[in-house]
Amino acid sequence: MPLSTQSQADDEQYVLVASLDNARNLSNILKAITFKDHAIFNATPNGLKVTVEDSKCLQANAFIQADIFQEFTIREDVVGFQVNLTVLLDCLNIFGGSIVPGLSTALRMCYKGYGYPLTLFLEEGGVVTVCKINTQEPEELIDFEFCSANVTNKVILLSESLREPFSELDTTSEVLEITMSPDQPYFRLSTFGNSGNAHYDYPKDSEMMELFRCTTTQTNRYKMSLLKPSTKALALSSKVSVRTDSRGFLSLQYLVRNDCGQVCFVEYYCCPDEEVE
Amino acid sequence: MNCVLEVNCVKAFGKAIHALSRIGEDLWLLALRSVNSAHSAYACFVFSPMFFQHYSLGSNQDQGSEIIHCKLAMKSVLPLFRSLTSIERNVERCQITINTTSDRVKIMFICKHGLTKTHNLHFQESESLQAEFAADLCPNILKAPARLFSDMVIHFPLSQEEITLSTTPHRVSLRNYYEEGNDHLKFMYTEMSLHPDEFEHFQVGVESDITFCLKELRGFLAFAESHCLPVSVLFGAAGKPVCFFIEDMFLEATVVLATLPASDNRSPSHSPRCGEAVAPATTPQDVPAETEMIMSSKGSPIFQPPFPSLHYLESLVPEEDVASGAATPASSQICSLLFKALSSEQDDNLGAAHLSVLACYSDTEEAVEGETRRSASF
Repeated sequence: MPLSTQSQADDEQYVLVASLDNARNLSNILKAITFKDHAIFNATPNGLKVTVEDSKCLQANAFIQADIFQEFTIREDVVGFQVNLTVLLDCLNIFGGSIVPGLSTALRMCYKGYGYPLTLFLEEGGVVTVCKINTQEPEELIDFEFCSANVTNKVILLSESLREPFSELDTTSEVLEITMSPDQPYFRLSTFGNSGNAHYDYPKDSEMMELFRCTTTQTNRYKMSLLKPSTKALALSSKVSVRTDSRGFLSLQYLVRNDCGQVCFVEYYCCPDEEVE
Repeated sequence: MNCVLEVNCVKAFGKAIHALSRIGEDLWLLALRSVNSAHSAYACFVFSPMFFQHYSLGSNQDQGSEIIHCKLAMKSVLPLFRSLTSIERNVERCQITINTTSDRVKIMFICKHGLTKTHNLHFQESESLQAEFAADLCPNILKAPARLFSDMVIHFPLSQEEITLSTTPHRVSLRNYYEEGNDHLKFMYTEMSLHPDEFEHFQVGVESDITFCLKELRGFLAFAESHCLPVSVLFGAAGKPVCFFIEDMFLEATVVLATLPASDNRSPSHSPRCGEAVAPATTPQDVPAETEMIMSSKGSPIFQPPFPSLHYLESLVPEEDVASGAATPASSQICSLLFKALSSEQDDNLGAAHLSVLACYSDTEEAVEGETRRSASF
């Protein structure tokens, strides 16, 4: 592969080098969080974390562990930069989006450090494309202070049971209300739209409910516009964990299996809609 | 009111709603009905109690068997039944409850794996909607499997608004309708003819050319075809409404469409024409008698369904507000019963032969007692 013939000398100038035989393993997961133009990349020896935020109320993170990459070299403890996510996805799909069996786009992503662009070497069928995307200073990320210790309610559901309700959600409703309780209705999604309201109930003993751990009855409302983008992550995932903490903050964690069967995670954090409180 | 449907019936219910959505923007629940904004097309699907797994009228508060007519916006209901394939895959049962105290209809889908989807929709209580159609006065009746009609209309483009059905005792033909003045060169003209033998039942009392809107009919034909039911078409001369009707053990569905009057230069009003159209038919060919004969000889429940029938007037009741200027008393009664509304275009003293209102709110016809009252009770 042409990409691997790059000399050792070149590599030394990069603080981050990440290679994938199939760029789709990165582009698919990034699509799950592309609801804003800009994303913040945070690389550590553990892997890559890509974050997108909206209105200071919603944060979506995609985690791609180091072992997913064929090569993952980092010369500093933390490497962070901000890029235009839409442009990045366009580059990753530069050879066209069609899935031809056996033919995949190989990726080598390189970053020299602060002030340098993000360089992508993409190869398919012998054709190499080099893309250089400008980077910006990463904005400070919100810390939702969501820790396991404060989690009051947690359920894990199979994504297939949520996909249809999520896609059917009444968009005339401004909020999505989530009720979690050790008693009936156990787990409920509600909308309040122009024609009336709708409730989707999941009983705790359903086969779709892999884990049900609810200690208190909580009902929280979240802006529909913030949560609707999570439908993409839901579509890619096999399972989703829904957690709320004592403040009503919501954490959605999606387990995504890529083309090679490897596991990545996508996470959404959302503040409750304050008008209700 | 509370009823429960099992999945195959939910699909049929959903298909009925799809068919009705092509007609109007509102849905009357319970005996699903809809009418278009111009009131020139009306459709009604009635499901017998046997269709439902469980069916009970009368509210929990014991208000007696008050009949509730609730009107819902089609755009609230249609999305719930939009994907019939996903209903088939996921839904086990559907429960519909009408709660008059809170003005809500609760439609609950009990799905696989214990999941339930509950929708509470606002409804408006409204007067019942019922089209009047004197079926036993129709001189022409055709009946054929839905497939035949679908095969006929498939030849017309989806954009085709209106078609003309021409019937003679020897031939039935269907052609597209275009208004004079359209550029004929840009237009594709389609016509097909059928021999009377193609129909299960063929009765032509009056030769006629009726023009009606095809778009509003397509959904209904799709429903009929999916249930493999024969479709009966009842009609008369141009200007009088045409009725399409299907039924089986569990349901009965009707679409009544207004038809265009024959050319306007004929007469300033329609009443005399109605009279002319109907009266001659009765005497020479003795059509009503023939109709009677057909009704009973076939033993078909077309006009006497197993459960209370709704929309056919079994007898003519003199209409008090019939205009006095009509040609013959009988014909004016017929006209006023068929076209009940008041028209601003026609001369008031000629009664109402206004095509634009076919289905009116039945509580304005307090005068029409007896059968109609009973029939409006479903």
